[in-house]
Amino acid sequence: MKWFKNRWVFLAVTLLFFLGLSLSAHAAPRTSNLWWVPDVASAHGKQIDQLMYFIYYLTGGVFVLTQVVYIYFLVKYRSRKGIKAIYSHGNNRLEFVWTIIPTLIFLGLWGYSNHLWLNVIHTDPPEDAMEIGTLAYQFGFSFQYPGPSGKLGRSDPKLISNENIFGNDPSDPLTKQNFQSGVLELPVNKPIQIRLNSRDVIHAFYIPEFRVYQDIIPGRTINWVWFIPTKIGSYQLACNQLCGSGHYNMKAQVQVVSQQDFDKWYKEKVAPPANNPAPPARTK
Amino acid sequence: MAQTIAHVAPEEAHEHHAHHPELSFFNKYIWSEDHKTIGMQYLFASLFFLLIGGLLAMGVRFQLAFPNVPVPLIGHLLPSWLVTPEGAIQPAGYNGLFTMHATVMVFLVIMPLLIGVFGNFLIPLKIGAPDMAFPWFNALSFWLFLLSGIVILSSFFVPSGFPASGWTSYAPLSSHANYNGTQWGQSLWCVGLFINGLASIAGAMNYITTIINMRAPGMTMFRLPLPVWALFITAFLLLLAVPVLSAAAALLFFDLNFGTTFFASSNYGQPLLWQHLFWFFGHPEVYIMMLPAMGLVSEIIAVNSRKPVFGYKAMVWAMGAIAFLGFIVWGHHMFVSGMNLLLSATFSFSTMLIAVPSAIKTFNWMGTVWGGSVRYTTAMCFALAFVSMFVIGGLSGIYMAATPVDIFIHHTYFIVAHIHYVLFGGSLFGVFGGIYFWFPKMFGRMMNEFWGKVHFALAFIFFNCTFFPMHNLGLNGMMRRIADPTQYDHLRSQQPVNVFISISAFMLGLSTIPFLINFFYSMFKGPKAPKNPWQSTTLEWTVPSPPGHGNFEKTPTVYHGPYEYSVPGVDLDYLPQDQPAPETARIEAH
Repeated sequence: MKWFKNRWVFLAVTLLFFLGLSLSAHAAPRTSNLWWVPDVASAHGKQIDQLMYFIYYLTGGVFVLTQVVYIYFLVKYRSRKGIKAIYSHGNNRLEFVWTIIPTLIFLGLWGYSNHLWLNVIHTDPPEDAMEIGTLAYQFGFSFQYPGPSGKLGRSDPKLISNENIFGNDPSDPLTKQNFQSGVLELPVNKPIQIRLNSRDVIHAFYIPEFRVYQDIIPGRTINWVWFIPTKIGSYQLACNQLCGSGHYNMKAQVQVVSQQDFDKWYKEKVAPPANNPAPPARTK
Repeated sequence: MAQTIAHVAPEEAHEHHAHHPELSFFNKYIWSEDHKTIGMQYLFASLFFLLIGGLLAMGVRFQLAFPNVPVPLIGHLLPSWLVTPEGAIQPAGYNGLFTMHATVMVFLVIMPLLIGVFGNFLIPLKIGAPDMAFPWFNALSFWLFLLSGIVILSSFFVPSGFPASGWTSYAPLSSHANYNGTQWGQSLWCVGLFINGLASIAGAMNYITTIINMRAPGMTMFRLPLPVWALFITAFLLLLAVPVLSAAAALLFFDLNFGTTFFASSNYGQPLLWQHLFWFFGHPEVYIMMLPAMGLVSEIIAVNSRKPVFGYKAMVWAMGAIAFLGFIVWGHHMFVSGMNLLLSATFSFSTMLIAVPSAIKTFNWMGTVWGGSVRYTTAMCFALAFVSMFVIGGLSGIYMAATPVDIFIHHTYFIVAHIHYVLFGGSLFGVFGGIYFWFPKMFGRMMNEFWGKVHFALAFIFFNCTFFPMHNLGLNGMMRRIADPTQYDHLRSQQPVNVFISISAFMLGLSTIPFLINFFYSMFKGPKAPKNPWQSTTLEWTVPSPPGHGNFEKTPTVYHGPYEYSVPGVDLDYLPQDQPAPETARIEAH
């Protein structure tokens, strides 16, 4: 009997160890970045993190509560000589209570997260948002920047070809001023709208620090992703949807710079128009 | 494999059942139509596949901890599509490894272990029937299953090897040979899953018919043991969900080989169609792999707590609710896939709702333990661990149900942690518990409890060391399905965590050894099992271990519900279902 007791003490210690692991990880300095989310670097990312922390404390609380009660029961009601189990088929009032309470909590959580989803993350981008085109292909990304208007002009995924990799519509004068880049250079604190196209299979646009993820579907244009970078620095854009043998290394550099630095970069880019190497032609 | 089950044949079967003609070797062990033999066939086949799936996982973990390091010992023996000339796993081969790990574990291990093994073995015994309704279909189901496993695994030997577009096989990567580079492997995957689907459909039809038509007198629906209820509901899920996957696999095969464009991005095809079809099957599939384990665990906990299941009817209704809601949550796999954003909001709603019956079940398991007289057998340890692991897996699911948080952690290691807490800490722990619990009935011998507990302790510790830190990796933004995390700036500092996880995973793999030794040794040398070693109430414990052909000497009559433990006024602390309650007993209605 003693052996059993020790076993459950051991189990409790193990569980507490893991819980402690995640809690202490939370308290650890963010600079180490070993156990917790990377520092957020976009405006709406802060709100996503708030929701995540809310869920973290909610689920953490539920976990501790249920496991403490469970382990207490397991120790208290271990089989002992001469003591018979309580005969009970259940309790309808209890069933009712533990159906209603989780239902209310989950509905509330849905309300909170859905508000964020529809009213914060997926609102229409501001009028002054700069459009940037992103083409994903096996295995890399190319970016297209607009002329001074900040708008890319019309495009159609059906027009995508080796010569016209972003599928720009030549009849729209706006597209004439667009230029291409291999790096995603972004001005800080400016709204950016991303137009996503894929040339072959499904890829994804994932920047963990921005809390942004969107699959890129071939044959379609997805233009609802927008964000405001809030921290100067360099990040990595990663493909996060299995796209073939080179998927593991499909990434691009993201540079968030001050407005002055961005303007300087932009001028240099515009001067010799579109002399960037095109992505390797599709082999079929 | 068929030979290894020779000893299953019970000598006493023929004494009790002289009316059954002597069967030829072929009809007894190979094309057997006895549900118990078919259950054993499933058990040996899927344990074999478990080893293969586990080895594939070891390959995955080796690559993640030590990218570009030659695989020790066997590196130079592996085919060129998998490794470099130096013997290190190459990225395309790595994609094949995790694709096959998941495919094998889902279709050839967890499903057959839960449904093929326990469904076949337990349903007739627990409802008091001599066999399944359609024994011939039952045998067919097993051999189709085995064939599907052989077809899927044969991709190891074809040019360019394993399919490599993930077990989800998203089109158009999977549907164009020039995108995936594995036309042979991917085609075999489609054919294999199609055959596997036929096996599931044949089995499901059989279970439903058997449970509806062949219950012993007095065995009303609400006197069915919970594993039978779970398998009954699961059979409906299989019948409704699996044909969708079979159809989708057939369309994918046409796209891949005959140039049709169902899932293409041009010519009126639609890549998202594949995802809708796949997840319309794929989410009920999650519950197909969960409900039977819940049923087994409910029973193991009740028997070993010496108490009736707390809220038996609530447990049944909760499973029904999970099954129903399970069909309208598939879109939560597609929040970031380019689906309509309002649709995401709807799927988020149904996903939050499906958490409620899961919570109800957890509370009822805790209620069952409450006030009990808990015996810590190995089976019970696994069942109790199942509850805790299921709580972790369920709670981490809430992060993904909240669409904004899902944006961040979708397709990271957070979801890899989540799925393994549900499928390994959940389903597979349930299976282990079930094997330790029903082994005496299956083979007529007892397993060794000490080595069972060694297995449990190692599996529990190393399971958590392997999968818990994956939550942290995911929060840090580590993508799933990448062959080399050190390629990314934000993941390089994480590499020590990956090494820790991999070493734990190797230990978790090794923890299967005491189980396998215990399993095979006990089968031949274990102490003989009595009829009812766990003092259990359900019908399978009223017949000899192992039961003879035809199961029951005469059809039992059932007098009360399945879990009458510690009934006041009864001398023993259990009241078998086929024994009328004594006058003194004060049975409560449930």
